[in-house]
Amino acid sequence: MADNSSDVLPGREARAHLDHFATAEQQRNTAMAGMWIFLVTEIMMFGGLFMAYAVYRLGHPQAFASASRDMNIVLGAVNTAILITSSFTMALAAQAAEEGLLRPAKWLLAATILIGIVFLGIKFVEYYQHYRDHKAPGFGFQTNLPDPGGIQMFYIFYFAMTGLHAVHMIVGIGLLAALLIMTELGRFSREYHSPVVITGLYWGFVDIVWVFLFAIFYLPGLHLHG
Amino acid sequence: MAEPTVARKIYLRAYAGLLSLTLLTTLLAFVNMGWFNTVAALMIAVTQALLIGGIFMHALYETALVRVILAGGVLWFLILITLTMTDYLTRSR
Repeated sequence: MADNSSDVLPGREARAHLDHFATAEQQRNTAMAGMWIFLVTEIMMFGGLFMAYAVYRLGHPQAFASASRDMNIVLGAVNTAILITSSFTMALAAQAAEEGLLRPAKWLLAATILIGIVFLGIKFVEYYQHYRDHKAPGFGFQTNLPDPGGIQMFYIFYFAMTGLHAVHMIVGIGLLAALLIMTELGRFSREYHSPVVITGLYWGFVDIVWVFLFAIFYLPGLHLHG
Repeated sequence: MAEPTVARKIYLRAYAGLLSLTLLTTLLAFVNMGWFNTVAALMIAVTQALLIGGIFMHALYETALVRVILAGGVLWFLILITLTMTDYLTRSR
């Protein structure tokens, strides 16, 4: 990519690296290692929930399959595509920031925020439909399917795991909004842009979690007939 | 700079691959393959995770330290799954 100076905003407070780092590269590698360690703790947190889901699904295979038939597969699949699109724009935003192309980076960050909000909007519609259909445990849960206990467990995992994921999305949108403001204030430059890249890692991780949530909550019952 | 620049074409291909896999996994879920439905859905999800992690999150291009950290996380998650399943998969019902 050729250096396009018109796309580089003046970096008022942009500095190569902080005093306690020897080089900008060391600062960058430290930031990356720290963020990946944080993401590993996130793997552990979601991992425990996936593990618990697996145990209960083994115990109630029919109930989990028939409960997942009531998921809205169209909204689920569309939302998966939407979140993947936001990861794509996020990756491009981080790349643009690395190249010092701050104006495109700003637009890509804004696009990522908007796409993230659309995802949450669709999720909210789904939650409302579950609530309306008496599928929310603790809020007048009802089902005519066999093994109501197993069905309810499916929905408890569904709300806990997609809810925790949604909280991560809300946090991510807040982080992206902060990045947008920092970019506008000229905090980033071709030399210093780790916050953008690190937030990109977080956003990508949240997308990976969703890919697995889609696989375990929306897909299991689709092949069953009747 | 230290970070490698990934060609936009690679991002675009990863994005196209991710969308195709989403369509594929959704369509496959309607076909009754017995226990293989779950395996197929998880295999496609893992492939998608590798595309997002490896390309969008640059794990493929990161330092050895980051790769060790990531491998540690995945390893410990597999220990969690394996040891728990040695119990639940071997119980007589």
